[in-house]
Amino acid sequence: MEQARNYVCTECASAVPSGHKFCGACGAGVPTEAQTLETRFFGALQMPGKARLIVVRGDEAMGEGLSYLLQATEHVAGREADQIPFPSDNWLSPAHANFLYRGEKLVVRDEGSLNGVYIRIRAAVPIQIGDHFMCGQQLFRIDATPKDTSGPEADQTHFYSSPRRPSAFRVTQVLEGGMDGIVCCAHEQSLQIGREDCDINFPDDIHMSPRHARVEMSGESLQLADEHSQNGTYVRIRGERELSHGDYLFLGRNLLRVEVTA
Amino acid sequence: MIVCSRCSKENQDHYKFCLGCGAELPRQSSQPRSFSAPTPPGGTPSLGRTTDAPPAQVGRAEALASASQLELDPTPAEPVRSKPVAVEDPLPPELAPLSDETSPCPHCGSLVPENFRFCHVCGDDLHAEASGDALADAPEERVSAPAVAEASQPAAARARLVLIQPDGSEGESFPLSGGRSLIGRATGGIFANDAYLSPEHAEFRFEGDQLVVKDMESLNGVYIRIEPEVPIELFDGSIFRVGQEILRFEAPTAPDPAPDGTQHMGSPHRGYLGRIALVIGRQTTGNSYPIPPQGIHLGRERGDVVFPEDGYVSGLHCRVNSEVGHVFLTDVGSSNGTFVRVSNESYVPQGTFVLMGQQLFRAEY
Repeated sequence: MEQARNYVCTECASAVPSGHKFCGACGAGVPTEAQTLETRFFGALQMPGKARLIVVRGDEAMGEGLSYLLQATEHVAGREADQIPFPSDNWLSPAHANFLYRGEKLVVRDEGSLNGVYIRIRAAVPIQIGDHFMCGQQLFRIDATPKDTSGPEADQTHFYSSPRRPSAFRVTQVLEGGMDGIVCCAHEQSLQIGREDCDINFPDDIHMSPRHARVEMSGESLQLADEHSQNGTYVRIRGERELSHGDYLFLGRNLLRVEVTA
Repeated sequence: MIVCSRCSKENQDHYKFCLGCGAELPRQSSQPRSFSAPTPPGGTPSLGRTTDAPPAQVGRAEALASASQLELDPTPAEPVRSKPVAVEDPLPPELAPLSDETSPCPHCGSLVPENFRFCHVCGDDLHAEASGDALADAPEERVSAPAVAEASQPAAARARLVLIQPDGSEGESFPLSGGRSLIGRATGGIFANDAYLSPEHAEFRFEGDQLVVKDMESLNGVYIRIEPEVPIELFDGSIFRVGQEILRFEAPTAPDPAPDGTQHMGSPHRGYLGRIALVIGRQTTGNSYPIPPQGIHLGRERGDVVFPEDGYVSGLHCRVNSEVGHVFLTDVGSSNGTFVRVSNESYVPQGTFVLMGQQLFRAEY
């Protein structure tokens, strides 16, 4: 005695192989769940290639630990967004960023926001004049060394300037509200940021590591490197950026972790 | 390195107490370290500039430094041989090893390096007597020099600018009549070779009993030394000078928020009063630091903003702070003084030091 190996037609008791919509013997309909042998997940969270965003640090309204499953093709985050709303963070534009799938890949796209999207760097990354990055609670901008405007006048009077030292670039701290804070010119090719004993020091920033990050000119290009800090260094993305499992993003005051099921 | 006998922690040589357990460390092995090296007095070999500044700047720096010798720094003038540190040298000058020359402290008998003002063990003021002598000497010096100068003055002169030479002595003096006296590179004489003076740089005149200087829209301006512990208000764009450094005060500014109500993101704003920025070109500033509500101190070694490579800045030089909603600059007893750039016109009280181009003068009348 053994069990029939296929679906059995409820009208004529003939075997119906998977893939058939009607019984070949009597023409009776086959129920949809028997038509294909596709196995469903118990829950949508198990679906491969679908990503989740976990709010690691959120604003007051949107508590920590909240997660968003990115099931659709596009998911807009912002102060007035429907899908991923952060209503009480005024550093977010109404529609700030879009999480979307391109084929199998999840990407984040800055929707022309005022303050941008920051991603934690995993290794030293190239960085350009005008780029922004974050360490601890601090936001910085890379600036070019201005042209020397201390040459003599037409009447041969020399301009008296403070002593200057060779510097390949400078880093400017950007304060909330948009005013520039500290400006620090690199010592020749390199500049270090941290709590103590660096070129720019923030002794009272509890989220910054003692030696946190370094910007360096190597050859003709600038590089931003995290110095094994506890909380990482974040760089503002240009346009859009592919995401992978374990990436961290800052959107305004909100820190999000990306989880992608393999 | 001193290894603590109680807890075995390794401590730096200048520590008096163990960082690990707080036990007193053996005194004889602790090398005294200077945290109060004196500001180089006048006559110090000029500081090397790492940039390609015109050579004429060196003399100007010396002229500024010379003020200390006249009457303000009672510390005996000793040549300080530590050169400014090259950029690649990791050791800042204040941590450079001290010379072996020591003398016993009259109070506790510890051997104290010659350039210490206070005993590093008991805190005794080592120059309490010596400085009295230095002060006693100073007036004589001041009396004799003007006597020579007066002999060479025309009778019509109502005041004069006495040149303070790089070695601290008084040089030539320039007579100022009761009317308008224009000085500048085109004036010739002691002003002719100063590349940092504009051809028509400044004009002096009297208003009643007061000497007044007017900046004739010169390139580098006219600076007046401010009195110690007398606050001077700073306004947006005010320029002042400590040692070789030109600093600009910038009032706080901020862009408007976006039309959609989004605020500009950034580092925590601690209610900054503005910024001080290092002037390195006509429209160019270098390093800049925001001023928190409690104010900041500037100095060569101490303070929130330090200038370890400028030997003409005192250990602690001046402060910028806020009172009743206004921002003030105060010299805290620096050797070489804090100078404020004259905005258009200023009174020049008798005895005031005036810095123009690369030269330092004292106004006598």
